[in-house]
Amino acid sequence: MAPSKITVHPSAARSGAPADRGAELTLVERCRQGDLGAFEELYRAHSGRLFSLLCRMLGNPTDAEDLLQDAFLAAHRKLDTFRGESSLGTWLYRLTTNLCLDHLRSRAARTSQVTDTLDDEPRLADQASRGLAERAVNRMDLERALAQLPEGCRAAFILHDVEGLEHREVGEVLGIAEGTSKSQVHKARLRLRALLG
Amino acid sequence: MASLPCSDHTAAIQEMVDGTLGAIRRSELELHLDQCDGCRALLKDLQRIRDAAGSLDRLAPPDRVWLQVAGRLRQEGRIRAAHTRPVTSRRPYVLTALAATLLLMIGGSVLFLLPATRGARQAATATGAPASPGVQPAAQVQGNAASKDAVQEGIEAEFRLAEQHYQNAITKLEEAARSSEDSIDPQTAAMLQKNLQVIDQAIAESSAAMRSEPTSVTARDSLFDALKRKVALLQDTIALMNEMRKGNAAGVAQLVDGVNKG
Repeated sequence: MAPSKITVHPSAARSGAPADRGAELTLVERCRQGDLGAFEELYRAHSGRLFSLLCRMLGNPTDAEDLLQDAFLAAHRKLDTFRGESSLGTWLYRLTTNLCLDHLRSRAARTSQVTDTLDDEPRLADQASRGLAERAVNRMDLERALAQLPEGCRAAFILHDVEGLEHREVGEVLGIAEGTSKSQVHKARLRLRALLG
Repeated sequence: MASLPCSDHTAAIQEMVDGTLGAIRRSELELHLDQCDGCRALLKDLQRIRDAAGSLDRLAPPDRVWLQVAGRLRQEGRIRAAHTRPVTSRRPYVLTALAATLLLMIGGSVLFLLPATRGARQAATATGAPASPGVQPAAQVQGNAASKDAVQEGIEAEFRLAEQHYQNAITKLEEAARSSEDSIDPQTAAMLQKNLQVIDQAIAESSAAMRSEPTSVTARDSLFDALKRKVALLQDTIALMNEMRKGNAAGVAQLVDGVNKG
């Protein structure tokens, strides 16, 4: 069995102890008061994982840069609404993911692209009978396969398996139930197996 | 082709990959895995996929993204003036410079006088005479004179460091601006170029004044004011390029207006 990523993942520090939460609230308060240095600190702490998420969701670093900028500008505007109920990281993930999904929907609408839904999925377990045949998964292949996933399960998979969030947190970020997060991630894995096989 | 996994064990396999499968169900699954090639293959594949996903690189956004964010926040007046707004009044800067100078003078004097005092005390110990606090040894008087020069050098070094900091920021901003200069229309580019020339001229004049009068607070004030204005203008330029690239006409108008008011 593979070691549990959650125990070693940086996200372990994200949801954090009360002291961390207190430090987050202090940082947010400084940002609210217009301290650019504090906001740069916040940006440096979270921009990497948000940019990675956006690149993988959008498949295009230029769009990811634009949306990252929009996300941090929106975060600055909405800092007053941050109450510390979830971690700052989760709050930023939620804000960024919502922007990203809105962007994908408007892009799909513009190009009249019909995105498939999980309900339309073929029988994934059957499809995956090809399997990986003992091959290691090449990271480039995985990045390409990720881009082919439907956006809903792609987001859940990236947040859970790539970024290391727990299903409960993925649910919080995407506004779905924990069980739905599990189901999305599991279907994404099966689909990836089929795509990589 | 591997044999098919059993559909009634797929959920348990996924939970095993997640690390959330309870002990009893895990034992049951392990018994099944011993007998089922399809499910064993599925478990291995899903674990490989999860491991590969967890090892994907964290991507770093280019520096220009932060510069654009900072430029927009400043443009929209959502940050405290002290951090990024160009200094329109010299008073805050003069106060800061005075405070820094005083701090350096005090710190420098203390640091420099300590060895002299210690030297006098050591000399007194060696000769058996007490080091009288009321009488300044000749070495200490010389030490104080030398300390002034050292303090002055220290102040100049600090200012050189600060100037270098600005120059480094300007170099980075210029690189970022060059990387997407095609996105800006010729009329706006000409206006920005003109503003930059005015600021560059101010930098050149202030630098010349600094060379002829290295201790002049006014010359330093002017130089740093001009450097700050250049940083602010370059940040605006990058933000403008970004808005033009995105086709955000309202954002462009707001930024151009700000640059014109400069």
